[in-house]
Amino acid sequence: MKLDDPRIKRIIRERSLSFCLECGKCSASCPRMLAGKEYSPRLLAQKLITEPEDEAFIENSVWECLTCGMCEERCPSGVAYSRFILDMRTLLAGTKGLKGYRSHDGALHSWMRLMTSPDLEQNRLDWIGPELRVKGSGPLAFFTGCAPYFDVFFSWIEVDTLSIARDSIRLLNFLDLVPVVLGEERCCGHDLLWTGDRENFETLCRQNYEEFKAAGVQEVVVSCPECYQVLSQFMPQVIPGFDLKITLLLELLDREIRKGGLSFQPLPRRVTYQDPCRLGRMSGCYEVPRTLLSLIPELTLAEMENSGRSAICCGNNGFINCDLYSKRIQVERLKEAKATRAELLVTACPKCMIHLTCAMRDPLRQGSLAIEIRDLANVLAGQIEWSGGEAPIGPHNR
Amino acid sequence: MARVNLLGICCSWSPFACYNAAGMARMELPSNFDLIRVMCIGRINQALILRAFEYGADGVILLECQDEDCRYGPGPEVGHNNVQRVRKLLHLLGIGQKRLVEKNFAANEREELVAALWEFARDMEAMGANPAKPSQEREGP
Repeated sequence: MKLDDPRIKRIIRERSLSFCLECGKCSASCPRMLAGKEYSPRLLAQKLITEPEDEAFIENSVWECLTCGMCEERCPSGVAYSRFILDMRTLLAGTKGLKGYRSHDGALHSWMRLMTSPDLEQNRLDWIGPELRVKGSGPLAFFTGCAPYFDVFFSWIEVDTLSIARDSIRLLNFLDLVPVVLGEERCCGHDLLWTGDRENFETLCRQNYEEFKAAGVQEVVVSCPECYQVLSQFMPQVIPGFDLKITLLLELLDREIRKGGLSFQPLPRRVTYQDPCRLGRMSGCYEVPRTLLSLIPELTLAEMENSGRSAICCGNNGFINCDLYSKRIQVERLKEAKATRAELLVTACPKCMIHLTCAMRDPLRQGSLAIEIRDLANVLAGQIEWSGGEAPIGPHNR
Repeated sequence: MARVNLLGICCSWSPFACYNAAGMARMELPSNFDLIRVMCIGRINQALILRAFEYGADGVILLECQDEDCRYGPGPEVGHNNVQRVRKLLHLLGIGQKRLVEKNFAANEREELVAALWEFARDMEAMGANPAKPSQEREGP
């Protein structure tokens, strides 16, 4: 890597790295550093600008980042740190190959790459039962993401990611919306993008876009924050003339509920909420989940010590670099959740659910971190009803 | 018939003894078959099986010891569990569960092993190329 490499210079310029004041707020708030890892966003920025010949350090640091966005949230100079890491990973992957330890030995990245095959004929809709109303073409689609795959792959930690997809469709059906669910929808490519595999990511984007277009879709409803970030922020960069409307399920619900006529059955529980990084810091959606929770009668929301803009990462992102420091972050996060005396941890991202559940199951902790964890879509679908007292779609009514 | 890429993942103990004996006896094996020798099938995880398909295999056969013969303990059992889980993923991907085969051998079963490989090759050739084959560059070493 040369000091005057124009590609590095461009990344430094585009991501405002030269604005760094070396104040160190990024490193002081980095969850990975707080967990004890020798990793410093500030030092990486400094090395890249003044000492780019230290390639080993730079490469290690680039692949170590969680891309949770905490550092850029705190940065007083507006350095776009996550995007900087993303650009650097894409660049390094192109010149030196993909690095970084892939969790589960890269099984997830493998199936994501397998999905780039043009002749793919998936069997991904087996989970849609007769109780759900979906169709094959129309203006509104629901994006399932990798839920059917996670359901198989993470069955051993008993995370039911398909229930999120089912409940999302039930909520749409409740609002009398019948979404298109595509049989050949592919992964949104989030994990490939954030681990440097831009080429396969772009292929997935194009394939998904073509599938949507072929089904006459104009608006895509997404429940997963990662899919939402990719479809709304990255897909338009890849597809020229991108004209799909991307809607977050929670925002759609918020809008519909404001129209009146809907209410929620009481849920007498104390809950706490984990802000997913892709929903909060990267998409700016902090209030909507809290508003929706506040609409449920008898539900008490107890915030964790670090919540909202300061919410701590679930420990891992893009299924890369899960290590003992990730585990430490997860343990700390779960301790914060337990400290709120909440009985239920609500999150809005299947990845948070997977990672935190995995940490809870550590046999050495003997269940001391265990707390019920559910997705916000599950909670809402269990309680929503028409204000007239018409039958809710709660679990007892399925 | 279409030429297909076949991959065997072979435990270094009983099945490899069979494979070696078959080679010593100059028994004929399918020409489009590659073998990866591992210390134990328990070493293989879901990711490595999936990666074989990602890298262009049309069929994968796991050659394992008999359950009670494992030199390490749980090898074949780990193999069975991984095969069960990966088959579900292969079904989702439309690759087909039958493209992943699992066979157990005792150390003296060289004829059985060769017959199993030919049967595997015939089945995979009948099924043809794997529909989910990424055309792009794969993950580096």
